Amino acid sequence: MRQSSPLSTTGAGHVAPDIFAAGGRRRRKWRRTLFPYLLVAPAVLYLLMITLYPGVYAIYQSLFDVRFQGWTWAGTANYERLWNDREFWAALGNTLIIGGIALALQCALALLLAYHAYRDPFVRGWRIIFLVPMLFMPSAVAFIWKLAFNDGRVVSDLLMRAGLVSDNIGFLSSVWLSRMTLIVADVWQWTPFLFIIFVAALQSQDEEVEEAARLDGASWPAIFWNISLPMMRPVIAVAVVLRGIDISTMFANVMIMTQGTPGGSTETISYFIYRIGFKTFNFGYASAISVVMLIATIVIAQVVVKRAFRSGSTP
Amino acid sequence: MMASQRRKRGESRILRYLILGTWALFCIVPVLWFLSIGFRPRTEIITPSPIYWPTFSLDAWWLLWGDWPMGHYLRNSVLAIIGSVLIDLVLAIPAAYSLARYTYRGRDDIGFYILSTRMMAPAIVAIPIFFLFRNMGLLDTVWALMLVYAAVNLSLVTWIIRSYMIDIPKELEDAARTDGASDLRILWEIIIPAVLPGIITAAVIAMIFAINEFLFTLLIASTRNAYTMSVALANFTGGSDGVIYNAIALAAFIAFVPVFIVVVLIQKHLSRGLTMGAVKG
Amino acid sequence: MARIELSGIQKRWGSFWGVRDVDLDIADQEFMVFLGPSGCGKTTTMRMIAGLEEPSEGEIRMDGHVMNDVDARDRDVAMVFQGYALYPNMSVYENIRFPLRMRNVMKSDHDRRVREAAKLVELSDYLDRKPHALSGGQRQRAALARAIVRKPQVFLMDEPLSNLDAKLRQTMRVQIKHIQRQLKITTIYVTHDQIEAMTLADRIVIMDKGMIQQIGTPDEIYNDPANTFVAGFIGAPPMNLIDGHLEGGTFSAPGVTVPDLAPHHDGPVILGIRPEDCHVAETDAHLTGQVYGVEPTGDMTYLSVLAGEKLIEVKAERSYRKPLDVPEQVIFDRERLYLFNAQTRERLR
Repeated sequence: MRQSSPLSTTGAGHVAPDIFAAGGRRRRKWRRTLFPYLLVAPAVLYLLMITLYPGVYAIYQSLFDVRFQGWTWAGTANYERLWNDREFWAALGNTLIIGGIALALQCALALLLAYHAYRDPFVRGWRIIFLVPMLFMPSAVAFIWKLAFNDGRVVSDLLMRAGLVSDNIGFLSSVWLSRMTLIVADVWQWTPFLFIIFVAALQSQDEEVEEAARLDGASWPAIFWNISLPMMRPVIAVAVVLRGIDISTMFANVMIMTQGTPGGSTETISYFIYRIGFKTFNFGYASAISVVMLIATIVIAQVVVKRAFRSGSTP
Repeated sequence: MMASQRRKRGESRILRYLILGTWALFCIVPVLWFLSIGFRPRTEIITPSPIYWPTFSLDAWWLLWGDWPMGHYLRNSVLAIIGSVLIDLVLAIPAAYSLARYTYRGRDDIGFYILSTRMMAPAIVAIPIFFLFRNMGLLDTVWALMLVYAAVNLSLVTWIIRSYMIDIPKELEDAARTDGASDLRILWEIIIPAVLPGIITAAVIAMIFAINEFLFTLLIASTRNAYTMSVALANFTGGSDGVIYNAIALAAFIAFVPVFIVVVLIQKHLSRGLTMGAVKG
Repeated sequence: MARIELSGIQKRWGSFWGVRDVDLDIADQEFMVFLGPSGCGKTTTMRMIAGLEEPSEGEIRMDGHVMNDVDARDRDVAMVFQGYALYPNMSVYENIRFPLRMRNVMKSDHDRRVREAAKLVELSDYLDRKPHALSGGQRQRAALARAIVRKPQVFLMDEPLSNLDAKLRQTMRVQIKHIQRQLKITTIYVTHDQIEAMTLADRIVIMDKGMIQQIGTPDEIYNDPANTFVAGFIGAPPMNLIDGHLEGGTFSAPGVTVPDLAPHHDGPVILGIRPEDCHVAETDAHLTGQVYGVEPTGDMTYLSVLAGEKLIEVKAERSYRKPLDVPEQVIFDRERLYLFNAQTRERLR
């Protein structure tokens, strides 16, 4: 036994002997390995509820012709119809075109702005102004631009006063003008999203590298192009993937501003599913579309997202 | 970040402020203009040609609180948002801890699965979810909104918190274990206080995404019982008058102000939160 | 009684061996130092004793009980970490109290024991502060207090002084040894600093590349090294190791001749001689070369002599001031010569 010491001797002294009982040892070991799974299980189960269950349900429903009277078996009829459906492919195309242009535009703008804004302390205080568009509800933003372009004709009026056009522009009557309104709304609202990410990434880069390049005789644009930008590549990948996913699900803008006009040229895939399901109430068909898009999402997630987040994120 | 370095870029200073200034104007002018819409009388919004010097009026305000159940919309939004974020925190914190701190078979796959639910377009699962809630009798309730918002944001919240947990030095946990703490104790007393900024960031971003949510809310809500601010905007129509913009504008600003305040507070953590840890501010 | 026995301990990650063939007995109340360069396995071994890592093979016993499957929580060990690992959201008082709460010590005892521990490390005035408001030395003492407060059976310390400046390190060294003596707790101390090892240890375990090189008291390690690694690791400046040939009792290497050595070790050997056992000589030199470096430090002068391609360190008189490149001769203290097998690097006795 230990002799007297300045500290008292009460308290956990020896290890409890029952730990050594074989059963206890095994039980503890089992609990230890199970533990991390238990921690993550509730979240995973909850998510399975909104992915697995809807997925299975959608697959099931897509095999039927669903009407108010009841469900009739349709087999693969919905899918065959989908394959031949001009509107479906148009919707996909629209999504890619509108989304692609908007994404490229906001990416380029965000880079341009970030390049000028980072490391300038004067700008840092005013950065909050750049964030403002992002802080409105997307439906609110849709209404802002709906009023500006269509209902309130503000844009037309300004252009007329500037002498650039002679008459009121009907943005909704032209395919490309209509798409443009959607693009402007999205770019206006979400460029800040990319902007703050790019600025953060640039600011985290080592200043000394830039100074070395400067001493080597490079101009600031050259430094940005040859050094800062390549170093940013994983960040750009992550940001673009995130924003790309959100853009491809564009719904509120379409529903509020154009409803797909003219002639379905601004109908995105999300709006297409919504229209088929909740305007024509053809749920079986809508489910088929959903299933197809779900598979496409999974494939894209595996290929694109895994790579972007593997290289982009630090862990 | 030394300001002195940037002074050498003097030659492009004018260009820089020109570009940034133009964009800043482009950001602010529509906002100010829309704000002015909120304070105009009905008659001065949709006119043959736009009015640039409107008259001030609180028409919209009375409309919101009188003709429409603005109070209900706000209440629904607040309840759904707070409820969903609480659900998320309860589910996400243990999950984030498991992903950040433990190594086990399937961990990366589970992590990726959770991440991938962020990628899902709402439209894809909208119809089954709609039927699910209808069969459960939960259509047009705030509960349904809460459940949906929680599901939509869970991935985000989990990954943001995980990113902050990874930064905790492993030594801290080793010390607590040698001191005799059980894993749950460690989580509660040590890990959570240490990642509090991350938890707050995740909660704030989740709330904003919940406020913004449109498609699911549109499908689920049909009366004042469940309409939230986001979808209610689309409701401000008055028959022959069409869309009532001054009400919409005012409502938009009522939603904007708290979001603005809160984002200013977590500014520092924004880029890290929005990219779920991939980019550290 | 806290006797620790490690038998046949191996730790492997995939194909990488972190720790190999460790057999070790640590006596009750002994201050045992694990010494070695980074990556030698000393910290891993200690973590296995703590229960933070599991050995791939082998047994760890405390007081005869096999502890392999006992969780770190349940082993009665306390650990002081290199980075202190203080809980950032708690005050110093709460930090020190934490182990008592976790081990279900009676609440009425908490205050008294925390204050006793704080007093022992002289932190009584800082109990209300949070870790970020403490200096490095204070944090280290707080971590120490947290380890002490439980009166564990074993102390484990993982390079606790490496983040402190030299002066503080010296003060804390003395204090740690003093506390250990007072509390009479078996202690395992990991470090790469040989001065710490020599001054603190009852016995030292030197490790390299996962394997034990030698176990012994500081004197044994210093005076009786088992191989060239140990010989070269302990002592500053390190022992001179000269590759050469032993034939008929005479050692020869470029610029070096040492006669009258034991003849039965003929063959390629390494000659070891510590700088303090080398002297500048006028006649009868063992080594001839040129002056390569002269570094006066005030109390002595470090002299480097180049013989052939080999640089020999000599601790010379404080007044030594010869210019560079002049010829010089060195004589070795014959009593303090060591011979090592050139292939196995083992000591030839």
